[in-house]
Amino acid sequence: MSNYAIETRNLKIAYGKKEVIKGVNFKIPEKIVFALMGPSGCGKSTLLRSFNRLLDLNKDARVSGEALLFGQNIYGENVDVMSVRREIGMVFQYPNPFPHLTIYENIAIGLRLNKIVQGREELDSRIKWALEKASLLDEVEDRLDDYPSALSGGQKQRLVIARVLAMKPKVLLLDEPTANVDPVGTKNIENLLMELKKEYTIVLVTHEPAQASRISDYVGFLYLGELVESGPTARIFENPKHELTDRYVRGILA
Amino acid sequence: MGEILVGKIKELKSDVLDMGKLAVTMLKDAVEALKSQNTQLAETVLDRKTEIARMDEAIEEKALRMIALYHPVSRDMRTIAAALKMITYLTRIGRYAKDIAKTAVLLANEPHLSKLVEIPYMADKVVGMIDDALTAFENEELAPLENFAERDDEIDALYYSIFRESITYMMEDAKNITKCIHYIIIARYLERCGDHACKIAEKVHYMVTGEHIEIK
Ligand SMILES: Nc1ncnc2c1ncn2[C@@H]1O[C@H](COP(=O)(O)OP(=O)(O)O)[C@@H](O)[C@H]1O
Ligand SMILES: [Mg+2]
Repeated sequence: MSNYAIETRNLKIAYGKKEVIKGVNFKIPEKIVFALMGPSGCGKSTLLRSFNRLLDLNKDARVSGEALLFGQNIYGENVDVMSVRREIGMVFQYPNPFPHLTIYENIAIGLRLNKIVQGREELDSRIKWALEKASLLDEVEDRLDDYPSALSGGQKQRLVIARVLAMKPKVLLLDEPTANVDPVGTKNIENLLMELKKEYTIVLVTHEPAQASRISDYVGFLYLGELVESGPTARIFENPKHELTDRYVRGILA
Repeated sequence: MGEILVGKIKELKSDVLDMGKLAVTMLKDAVEALKSQNTQLAETVLDRKTEIARMDEAIEEKALRMIALYHPVSRDMRTIAAALKMITYLTRIGRYAKDIAKTAVLLANEPHLSKLVEIPYMADKVVGMIDDALTAFENEELAPLENFAERDDEIDALYYSIFRESITYMMEDAKNITKCIHYIIIARYLERCGDHACKIAEKVHYMVTGEHIEIK
């Protein structure tokens, strides 16, 4: 087993002829928050999706090089894509709970489809556990049968996180999870991520350097498909080695 | 937002440089007043003490506000951190200038011994170091800081030389004691100003490279 939750080796990704990830190498230790930051269009979402083999769904997307999940190359031969995805939970930019399912059913559906729990009692307790982990239980305990439309943006996003956690993944991938959430909701989600990193490895995509500086332990700066610099967050924000990183974190990258 | 901060930092740097120039002229004038026994000039140094204290406060407030409002990082943060330390050192240099000016008033009525021993020469060396440290800060370059450790050793050596020479005069004639004690204390102040020049150089080095060093 590798000490790293995720590691990439000369990972390249192209859509058709257009190469958007140009051979990146980094290592993400377990149980930390790793922030992937960079201006929009630089390839953050593409890179994040490759860790979950979500790009398989896109016929134009081509991946080469290696992406290792706990030491195993997920692009190797004979890899079971479903088992890779079970280790990884993904949260997207727009809070996307199923609108026609209740809060309870939003979490239950994945557990039922994958036959992960047996019987109503176990299901109940797993759902409560997930809501508790997502710091949402107190707010929705007495309205589990309401629809998510009654929730705030931040609460919806935490419901999605609860849905993901219920599957007990090892790694959480979040693609700009607070981009559409107000400041209070953002703070709640950031606090939640800091709590969750005790048990999970978290990869957070953000276009906001300030968010990366607030909550990440390690940070990678992606620019035009290249990993310009990565390292401990405090070091990158105090003393970046690369001129581009310096300009980006200072907010003066043209 | 980044560009706004860049403008504010320029302003902050120019404030620190103004304060630096004030500290340097105070020190130069204090030693000149001592040398030429010009009590009027000494008095103007004493008057400038309030101005430098006012600058210290104003710059500190400005820098703290920048941190609160703009959450600076990287070189911006390092520049503000360097500025906050530098103004403390510059204030102390101003305070030593004031103390030297006070002594200049006390020693204005009798001729100096041996042309004030090596005090004016030592003062020139110290002022040169402060000037170079400020130039390095202004241009964000390390070249003017080369040899600072050697220059500081030279200042220390000058202090001991003034000390020994003054002791000799005191042993020759007890009437020289008051004057010589003052010379020794002034040399000690100048030596401290040299230390502060080194501290400023260390902060400028950190601002430019992100690495902490110790010059002495
Ligand atoms: N499905 C796709 N097909 C073709 N090009 C795409 C696709 N998705 C993203 N791109 C392009 O890839 C580049 C990186 O996009 P993306 O990974 O979304 O960046 P980010 O998340 O940093 O904003 C962009 O130039 C974008 O236009
Ligand atoms: Mg994106």
